[in-house]
Amino acid sequence: MQVFKLGLKIIRKNIPMMMIYVGTFLGITISFAFAGTSRQQPPSFADEKADVAFFAAESTPLVDGLKRELSKSVNFVDVRDDPEAIQDALYFESVTYVVRIPKGFTGQFLAGKDAKVEKITLPDSVYNAYLDLAVNRYLSTARLYLKNDPGISQRDLAARLDTDLSKGAKVFLTDTAGRDNGSFSGYSHTGFTAFYFIYLAYVLPLVLIFGITNVMAVYNDRDLSRRNFCAPISFVRYNLQFILATCAFSLAAWVILVLPCAILDRNGFFTGNAAAQVLNSFAFLLCASAFAFLIGSLVKGRSTVSAVANVFTLGPCFISGVFIPQKYLNDAVLRIASFTPVYWYVTADNKIAELTDFGLMSLSPSLFCMLVELCFAAAFLLLGLVVGKKRRAAD
Amino acid sequence: MFAHIFTARLKCLLRDRGLVFWTLLFPILLALFFKMGFSNLNTADSFRPIPVAVVNDAQYRRNAPFRQALQSASEGKGRLFTLTVTTKGNADELLKENKIYGYLTAGSPVEVTVRSAGYEQSILKSFADSYLQTYSAASYLIGKNPAAAAGLAESLQSRRDFTESLPSGGGASDNTTLYFYSLVAMACLYGSFWGMKEVVDIQADLSQRAARVNVAPVHKMKVFFSGVTAVFLVNFAEILVLLVFLRFALGIGFGGKTGLVVLTALVGTVTGIFFGSFVGAAVKAGEGAKVGILIGLSMLGSALAGMMYEGIKYVIQQHAPLLGYLNPVNLVADAFYCLYSFSGYGRYALDLTILAGFILFFGAGTYLIIRRQSYASL
Repeated sequence: MQVFKLGLKIIRKNIPMMMIYVGTFLGITISFAFAGTSRQQPPSFADEKADVAFFAAESTPLVDGLKRELSKSVNFVDVRDDPEAIQDALYFESVTYVVRIPKGFTGQFLAGKDAKVEKITLPDSVYNAYLDLAVNRYLSTARLYLKNDPGISQRDLAARLDTDLSKGAKVFLTDTAGRDNGSFSGYSHTGFTAFYFIYLAYVLPLVLIFGITNVMAVYNDRDLSRRNFCAPISFVRYNLQFILATCAFSLAAWVILVLPCAILDRNGFFTGNAAAQVLNSFAFLLCASAFAFLIGSLVKGRSTVSAVANVFTLGPCFISGVFIPQKYLNDAVLRIASFTPVYWYVTADNKIAELTDFGLMSLSPSLFCMLVELCFAAAFLLLGLVVGKKRRAAD
Repeated sequence: MFAHIFTARLKCLLRDRGLVFWTLLFPILLALFFKMGFSNLNTADSFRPIPVAVVNDAQYRRNAPFRQALQSASEGKGRLFTLTVTTKGNADELLKENKIYGYLTAGSPVEVTVRSAGYEQSILKSFADSYLQTYSAASYLIGKNPAAAAGLAESLQSRRDFTESLPSGGGASDNTTLYFYSLVAMACLYGSFWGMKEVVDIQADLSQRAARVNVAPVHKMKVFFSGVTAVFLVNFAEILVLLVFLRFALGIGFGGKTGLVVLTALVGTVTGIFFGSFVGAAVKAGEGAKVGILIGLSMLGSALAGMMYEGIKYVIQQHAPLLGYLNPVNLVADAFYCLYSFSGYGRYALDLTILAGFILFFGAGTYLIIRRQSYASL
């Protein structure tokens, strides 16, 4: 088993390089996953809360009442009252709506003049309509009183408004369990595990490409391979051992990359969804190994491999929904992405995350995606073999 | 002599294909991926009229104020809803097929039926609340003064806007721009590879080429500065190509201040080069380790400047501002961001001043390490 051992030896030498990627991956995934999964969907109907900065130049019962009323539908965020700080907060969406009550607002409003609440918003944001509605609701009801009960004091007005605005429409939720097609939030379905497996689409190919191409660079080196073929070992055995070494490495990389998820998210990992995701990641593993084999047959030189590896892993991840969820991606971009296996991997994962039963019928769309991944694997492998053969013939 | 070394270095640099890839093509490709990935991100949040339905039963037909309030909310350009008036069975069906976010049933009180929670549903509920609350106020007022009833019916239907938009103070509406700014900043800092190469090629204990160069009867600083000038020319040209690509091929906004944008790129480039030369001179390890340090630091810097997730920049700005000021990638990205977002120049000037401090520090550090070194044996 000399050839096999040689393969493992080369891989062992490259472990530090691969560990950089694995470490970065784990760091990023874990911090993102925890940040991303804390926003679980509420199980029952609750009003969405928008983040709002509230600046009032005066404190009157009317203005305080407005703030109280708004607090039902918003989270107030503290922002320094300075144009640059406000601009920052809006740009980074720390707040989506800034309310400013100008000085003299109450007086003008009570006098029936055209008093306005000033706002700074993100243009066209969905939150604007929601906040406008809340502000207008309060003030138009106040206006109603002022018009029809001219003698009302400001304190009475605020009290009446409190009573009226505590009224709310009754809400019926028809379907608490049935999530719709994921159009409301990102990876809330199974939290950490779902997120982890999506990000796996970035790191798995990267690690495999570095490992496998390095082994192949040695095996394919003209002088080395000529010397090796002088050895009293048959070509078939030689190749079989090489394949075995690559497979052992791929499997080990897969196990090492999947295992942290099982440790970090025990509740999420031992579910039917995660089991299907593990299966999906295995199909993707075959695909990524075959791709690494193709790169190893095509590309010579360490720096070129590193360039090719980065471009061909980052690119598909951006357009297939790894870094940015598919629902945010343009249709045209997704159509291009469907020519890469990453797209099918992510699509399968997204479908799996929504499953609640695991019959063949409900699994079949994701199984179809895995089948496409396997087709990609076969295509890469064949291409790699053809290229390798041509290169050997040329040598 | 300067011209001779300069042209020789220039050729030498341009033939390093790997480095040209990482410092020019890689940022361009990454920018392209960003653009493809973010193409929908800005519109994903934007408001579109919400498809809803209302059950067309006897109570709905009888309740004129409600009907009119709902209709006025579903008309015109700034409308809230796209309304379907239909039967209860049909509304349920539409809801099930996700054709509508929810439906209203008139009655006392008004009922809202939805499938799940979300902004659209909250807006629908908010609308229903608003109607009920106005109704409550109106009933109270009629109880007090029955003569007011006529005027009230009218107030119930009208939707008045009590808010007024202020200009936001800057042009920042596209909040994906920071990803591209931090990308340019990263590319500037990738200039550190060039800077490191420069030092490795003149420090006789670091490479054979440098050993040969050291034998030549030329002042070392002359060699270094001609080399650095060549490196600067190449890297600055690359950054300008990247900026032109971002601005004109991808249509990324940089604000109108072209001169200052170029100045920022220039300062960023010089920072990158001297950062690299400093690491090259100060770290006593193999070239691989040096490259590792440069990649690691510039990637960490880019991540903290918001290249992977721009929210990180804001978190750091709010809770650990010092970390932001110590991160050259963040400073360069922030300078671009200031030019795009703010009309004032205070923060921009601060960013550039700190960067100038970095240039001075790394430049002086490099100089002190590489000057007057001689070797007993090579």
